[in-house]
Amino acid sequence: MEAVLTRHLDPNAPLGLQAYRAAGGYRSLDAAFDRKPEEIIEIVEAANLRGRGGAGFPCGLKWRLRGADAPHPRYLICNLDESEPGTFKDRYLLYGGPHQIIEAAIVSAYALQAEQVVIFVRGEYAKGGNGLKCAIEEAERAGLVGSNIRGSGFSLQIKVHLSSGRYICGEETAMTNAIEGRRPNPRPKIPRQSVKGLWDQPTTSNNVETLVNVPHILLNGANWFRDVGVNGGCGPKLFCVSGMVQRPGLFELPCGTPARELIFEHAGGLAEGHALLGFIPGGASTAFLLPKHLDVPMDFDPVAKAGSRLGTGSIIVLDDTTCPVQATLNLTRFFARESCGFCTPCRDGMPYLAQILTAIAAGEGQAEDLALLEELCGIITSHSFCAFAPGGVEPLVSSLQCFREHYESHIATGRCPFDAANKSGA
Amino acid sequence: MNDKLNRQVLQKHLAQLPATHPERRAAILPMMQALQIERGYLDDAAVEEVAHFTGLSTTEVEELATFYSLIYRRPVGRHVLRVCDSVCCSLRGADQLLVVAEKYSGVPLGKVTPDGAFSVLPSICLGLCDQAPAALVDGEAVGPLDEAALQALLQRLQVEG
Repeated sequence: MEAVLTRHLDPNAPLGLQAYRAAGGYRSLDAAFDRKPEEIIEIVEAANLRGRGGAGFPCGLKWRLRGADAPHPRYLICNLDESEPGTFKDRYLLYGGPHQIIEAAIVSAYALQAEQVVIFVRGEYAKGGNGLKCAIEEAERAGLVGSNIRGSGFSLQIKVHLSSGRYICGEETAMTNAIEGRRPNPRPKIPRQSVKGLWDQPTTSNNVETLVNVPHILLNGANWFRDVGVNGGCGPKLFCVSGMVQRPGLFELPCGTPARELIFEHAGGLAEGHALLGFIPGGASTAFLLPKHLDVPMDFDPVAKAGSRLGTGSIIVLDDTTCPVQATLNLTRFFARESCGFCTPCRDGMPYLAQILTAIAAGEGQAEDLALLEELCGIITSHSFCAFAPGGVEPLVSSLQCFREHYESHIATGRCPFDAANKSGA
Repeated sequence: MNDKLNRQVLQKHLAQLPATHPERRAAILPMMQALQIERGYLDDAAVEEVAHFTGLSTTEVEELATFYSLIYRRPVGRHVLRVCDSVCCSLRGADQLLVVAEKYSGVPLGKVTPDGAFSVLPSICLGLCDQAPAALVDGEAVGPLDEAALQALLQRLQVEG
């Protein structure tokens, strides 16, 4: 397919305002201002644009549910706190084309009639965040951001909130707390952010990749967007492929592209002579899939049907030199470390899981550990406060099913077979 | 130390907070970031200054200062190397890189080398999985790294002082 979102991306030399406009940038503002806000929401709904940040919630529906009569001021938060292991697509969007993000923020805020956009940038992307700030100033000077944009009567401020680390800040209610200067613990789901979010005002949060699709939908139409996808998917999708492949990278392809094509064609396949053990399809908080799932279209519903989630569309590949117990331990440690600590099942449960896995990986596991792990995962999932821990145990639960024999062999032999293999091969 | 300049930066940020959200506490993170740039890390005096400015108690400031992984409450080296240890980098050798970095620096991870040149900190995913194993050197991305490249990098940081 022809590149859409990555067409003008260049992390080494992102387009300035003039060059971006010469390349057709900011044209969607006219397409937006010629329409009523609710018409834009209808188009986005018709396009079936689903959230690219992990949850896959329909963007248009989210916008409609906020309500046309929501009180002012209203906020739109653009989530650029990408921290999901395996995921680096938002980094490309930020470093490669800040004006594309600004254009998306303007038309999306217009659809929502929000007077302020906060772009939440993770601290590790500080240089990209500074580039974005400069681009916003450029856009302000050109009258694209500010009061009465191009005589439309619509006024907008765009702010960058530069964060300072911690995965949980990407959770939308934790993000709200972070922006307000509070400890970034997630908030209760009720009242909803759309009713009482940032500064207790109606707030809508979208991942940056979701938003950058909106200008293209406005310019090309909902049918175009649906036609871009394959195998039932809609629109272009930024896929990341990393781990044990020859050419890890970012690939913009139709949503619904099978994992096999991504791994073996675009990412160059595995190292010579090695076989695929399994892969994670959507970033660290999604369940493992096996070689038999390679032909599953990388789209929300088919991946869910296969027992995992499309998540951020970030494939992490394990080959036959990779110990799945070790990889799962790494993932579990990540979630143990990044727990915000607010609720006990997550704060204490995740390190407990990591501790048991550490013993198994070191060949010191007990036969009953596997049942204990499964029981703990169930308790943690059903008793934790937010979606962090349920996501955190997803790879572990699936790993225990997909790679059961590896766990059993670690326990039975009292050692990691991959350690021996790697050592003898070295 | 350029406290005056720093305050100007902070004042500017506060002045920019729109009337719709007048709470001073919203400036807490930008303040901590600015003070850290100024001082290398957030020392006790900086915590007190943030508390004074935001109207929060030092305990409340501490709560946030210790929450954020990029806010340092202890001194760090003149250069900070953050080595990703999440799954994609780990699959491609990050664990060994951390062992090498610790050995080379002669102090445990997180501590400052005796000459004050650098600190090596393990980090969660840096969003550099396509360059795994990767690291950030004073905020700049480097990768893929191997042991030799890492040692050369640390040596360079030491020479630069």
